[in-house]
Amino acid sequence: MADNSPVVTPIGPCDAIPGTARLALTLLVIVVSSLIPLEHWPAHGLLLVVVFAGLSLAGVTLGYLARRLMLFLPMLLVFGLSVPITQLHRESAWGWMVSLWLRCTISFLAGLWLIHVLPFPELLATLLRWRCPPLLVAMLAFMYRYIFILWDELARLRQAREARNFGSGSWKRDWVTNAQMIGLLLLRAMERAERTHQAMLARGWDGSPKFLGTEARKGE
Amino acid sequence: MTSLPIPMAIELRGLTFRYPTGRVALDDVRCAIAPGERVAVVGPSGAGKSTLLMHLNGLLPMPSVATDDTVQVFIQSLGVTKGRLRDVRRQIGFLFQDPDDQLFCPTVREDVAFGPLNLGLDQAEVLVRVDQSLIAVGLPEHGPRNPAQLSTGERKRVCLAGVLACDPVMLVLDEPTSNLDPRARRQLLEILRRFPGTQIIATHDLDFALELCPRVLVLDGGKLQADGPVEQVLANPNLMERHGLEVPWRLRAV
Repeated sequence: MADNSPVVTPIGPCDAIPGTARLALTLLVIVVSSLIPLEHWPAHGLLLVVVFAGLSLAGVTLGYLARRLMLFLPMLLVFGLSVPITQLHRESAWGWMVSLWLRCTISFLAGLWLIHVLPFPELLATLLRWRCPPLLVAMLAFMYRYIFILWDELARLRQAREARNFGSGSWKRDWVTNAQMIGLLLLRAMERAERTHQAMLARGWDGSPKFLGTEARKGE
Repeated sequence: MTSLPIPMAIELRGLTFRYPTGRVALDDVRCAIAPGERVAVVGPSGAGKSTLLMHLNGLLPMPSVATDDTVQVFIQSLGVTKGRLRDVRRQIGFLFQDPDDQLFCPTVREDVAFGPLNLGLDQAEVLVRVDQSLIAVGLPEHGPRNPAQLSTGERKRVCLAGVLACDPVMLVLDEPTSNLDPRARRQLLEILRRFPGTQIIATHDLDFALELCPRVLVLDGGKLQADGPVEQVLANPNLMERHGLEVPWRLRAV
């Protein structure tokens, strides 16, 4: 099975920063970018430069960055355009839109940096150390585990579709098939959730998440 | 002087189960399995094998009141009811058919630790159990890995490690050899041979049943169709054919 894990081993100078500090830095960048007033464009620019520098130090390639931005930016574009459309009477609506784009992009890039420099199990351990609600951490852990399974499931569905597609070339039919695939994926995910819950019950799950201590996690 | 009867590891007293759709999955299944016995459950797809196994662990709806009249499943003489689920599940290790259903933690070590942590053991004891279980399944170095990075055989063994870490008295295994290559199948067989407790194994792999289990139950249409020594039952061509099975090559007359 292919490993689709987005987590890579931290490279270079980012290694020297403790895990807690990496998470704190990311949150700081997101909070600062959200609090900077609209008219302070240079500060936004500076944050963007800082985040790009961090990504570069983490060894994130431009190609990888472009692929991720291609997924994120169209959604952000539509979301941002909703501001001037709904706030036509306000003069500052266009400025808000640009500000929203910038802030979201900075936050997205900061998050991208974090998943490159902090392995997910370590991120969960850090959240627990910060006294994050255990149930939330458990949900994040399950999400991380099942993203790969759902991704594999989707890949198998796509392969099955391609095997019987015979190059139909009709975009309309493709859209219908894609919608059906998403529906099927949802149903399979629900069935799997039920089976997983049974597997958890079989090993004593009582609804309260418990985690290995920091000592036990050493070496991960 | 009369000796006290040995309590059965598992006792099914007319186990009947109907799914919400109305389909009868199990119909008056009666049998008793002694401690330390290894029993295979075979039958065609949809025969009720997995449903039967899930009842052993109380994973399907069951009576909430504990009276001998209503309880249909007994584990070590303990009736399986809602109020006793924790005690019952402490004794039974359940291996699910699809390892991805069972491996829900981000790392192998955390997944194996899931059961012992829920048992309320302290961290040091949990760690010892995790290490011992991973050694028992031959994966001592795999603790920090993400289950998504493992092969199907390795994932199945990690699942088994997670079950063994709870130190169960008996194992209940649902299709343990499905999707395994011959080497992984052999490794699993060796691990199960070393386990001294009772084992109930639902499988389509009749050769596996033949190698591991002295006794077999044939289930079809939710009913127990045969119960006896594995070589005798599986060598009966009429019985096998009637229930959508085939006599294994090893038992066919030359």
